[in-house]
Amino acid sequence: MRRTMGHIFMALSGLVLALPIIVVAGASLNGGRTMLFPPEDPNFARFVEFFITETIWVRALRNSLIVAFGSATLAVLLAWPLAYLLWAKGSKASKMLAGLGSLPFALPPIVFGVGLGFMWAFMGSLGAIWVGIVSHATLFLALPLVTISIGLQSIDRAHLDAAATMGATEAVTFRTVILPQTLPYSISGFFFALVLSFNEFIVMFFVSASAYATVTLQIFNSLRNGYTPTMAVAAVLFITVSIAVFSAVARWGDLPRLMGADQSRN
Amino acid sequence: MTAVDSTRTGLDAAAPNLRRPWGTWALGALILFLAVTPFILVIVISFGQKIEGAGWEWDFTFANYQRFFVGALWPDEVTFLHLQRLYYALYYAVIASVLAVATAFPFTYLLTRQSRRAQSCWLVFILASLSLSEVFIVMGWDVLLSNRSGLPMLFEVSGATDWLKRTGWFEVLREWGLANPRNVKFKTSEFATILTMSYLVWPYAVILLYPALSRLDPSLTEAARTMGAGPAKVMTSVILPSVKLPLIGSMLLLFVFLLGSYVTIVVFAEPAKQTTAVAVYESVRGATLDAPFGAAQAVVLLVTAALFLVLAQWLTKRSEAR
Repeated sequence: MRRTMGHIFMALSGLVLALPIIVVAGASLNGGRTMLFPPEDPNFARFVEFFITETIWVRALRNSLIVAFGSATLAVLLAWPLAYLLWAKGSKASKMLAGLGSLPFALPPIVFGVGLGFMWAFMGSLGAIWVGIVSHATLFLALPLVTISIGLQSIDRAHLDAAATMGATEAVTFRTVILPQTLPYSISGFFFALVLSFNEFIVMFFVSASAYATVTLQIFNSLRNGYTPTMAVAAVLFITVSIAVFSAVARWGDLPRLMGADQSRN
Repeated sequence: MTAVDSTRTGLDAAAPNLRRPWGTWALGALILFLAVTPFILVIVISFGQKIEGAGWEWDFTFANYQRFFVGALWPDEVTFLHLQRLYYALYYAVIASVLAVATAFPFTYLLTRQSRRAQSCWLVFILASLSLSEVFIVMGWDVLLSNRSGLPMLFEVSGATDWLKRTGWFEVLREWGLANPRNVKFKTSEFATILTMSYLVWPYAVILLYPALSRLDPSLTEAARTMGAGPAKVMTSVILPSVKLPLIGSMLLLFVFLLGSYVTIVVFAEPAKQTTAVAVYESVRGATLDAPFGAAQAVVLLVTAALFLVLAQWLTKRSEAR
């Protein structure tokens, strides 16, 4: 009896969680240009519009992809040495650096966005697309930092000792023991940053300065004229990408562990 | 250069990139520059001054803060308009985060009792909805709550509206601002704002509670059960006390996260009940264009958020120490 009630509660929670997603996905099938649910004259015309024929959406999608891939790569490249420093040395300075590097993620993004807007304006580069990449890399630095740190902590010290006794140099140990064992965690961190950058809105809003638009920005800009089913297509694309990415992380990495299910080894 | 030369021979270096401290310094400087400068700029500019019709200039005046807390015309006239916006930011965030944690807690507890595989599936779903942009979530709820195609329509068609009218509940809803003369209405209302906000952080709540709940030792609850404690007793005397601190800690984190929410407020909150985040946007990029005052409001938001973050961190530390 209690078990059934538990299952019902979980199912209900899942349903509420899925509700807006279902509605948006349904609305994306509308044949006309009004956002109706259930959809009227359902077909895939809006999908063609979003991906192929309407240039504003095609361009916005391209910008989103450039920013997401660029910033996730940069975030991992910045987080790796920092996580390594933290793990190998654990000095006060490295802890403080990691803490400061995580600040943008922890504090309200609107404040960070306003600050970045000022900073890039002073440097005269506000509105350049690389500025968007660097801004997002900083904002999401905390994510690969956490996953890579979890990966480094999971390395068995015995492996390192074994490598050392067999005469491996630090560089060889790094390449043959540390790097392969932390690779899944680095990739997870990359994907977390990628997906969140893809969906981020407010920081992008301040640093793009209307010079270019990502998909989320374009949607917000079009809000004044009301929603159209073409925007719903974007939502469908985004949720599909997220599910695919996190499924991949779950398939090739250990998602429950990454989310902190196990006691961390000391 | 001597510092670089002397440390190159050092044997304490653990890996290739640690043998070159200048690399570490460069990394540190870069991260500090990118992550901290924006916040410093916001704080410095908040003391600046607006030039009528021409942007702003550096200064050291507290005028912006005075305007925030007591109004620009103080001491002749006192207005609390900006404080009221901060109050609404806190008000929405408190209710939404408490609501999210209260419903996410039983869910997460049940989740951690599932098989590893089932947990992975749920986590994928939860992470996907967690990362979904606020823009899309607002769009979804907007369609659901809008008068033409959403829940109000469903109320009308299913006869629920008539039933409410017959039983007298309709008048109560009207008093709460959730109905117009003909039908129920959810936009714009505190109800819609808080609902969407707590939906927004619900997946975060699950992710934050997940570690603490999945590390709960099952033998503890079993021991309590064998000693004759009922399920409710086990919950209140074993489970809740051991996760009390993470519970409050995650509530604080969600609260901080919600303080800055923007799209939800713009779409769902009544114009008179907008928050500081919206005001920041309006000052910096919107109609009024007063960057120093926008920065000052952002600083107030920042300080409020930082206070609660420190509190959350302290609680987490305490829970880990035990």
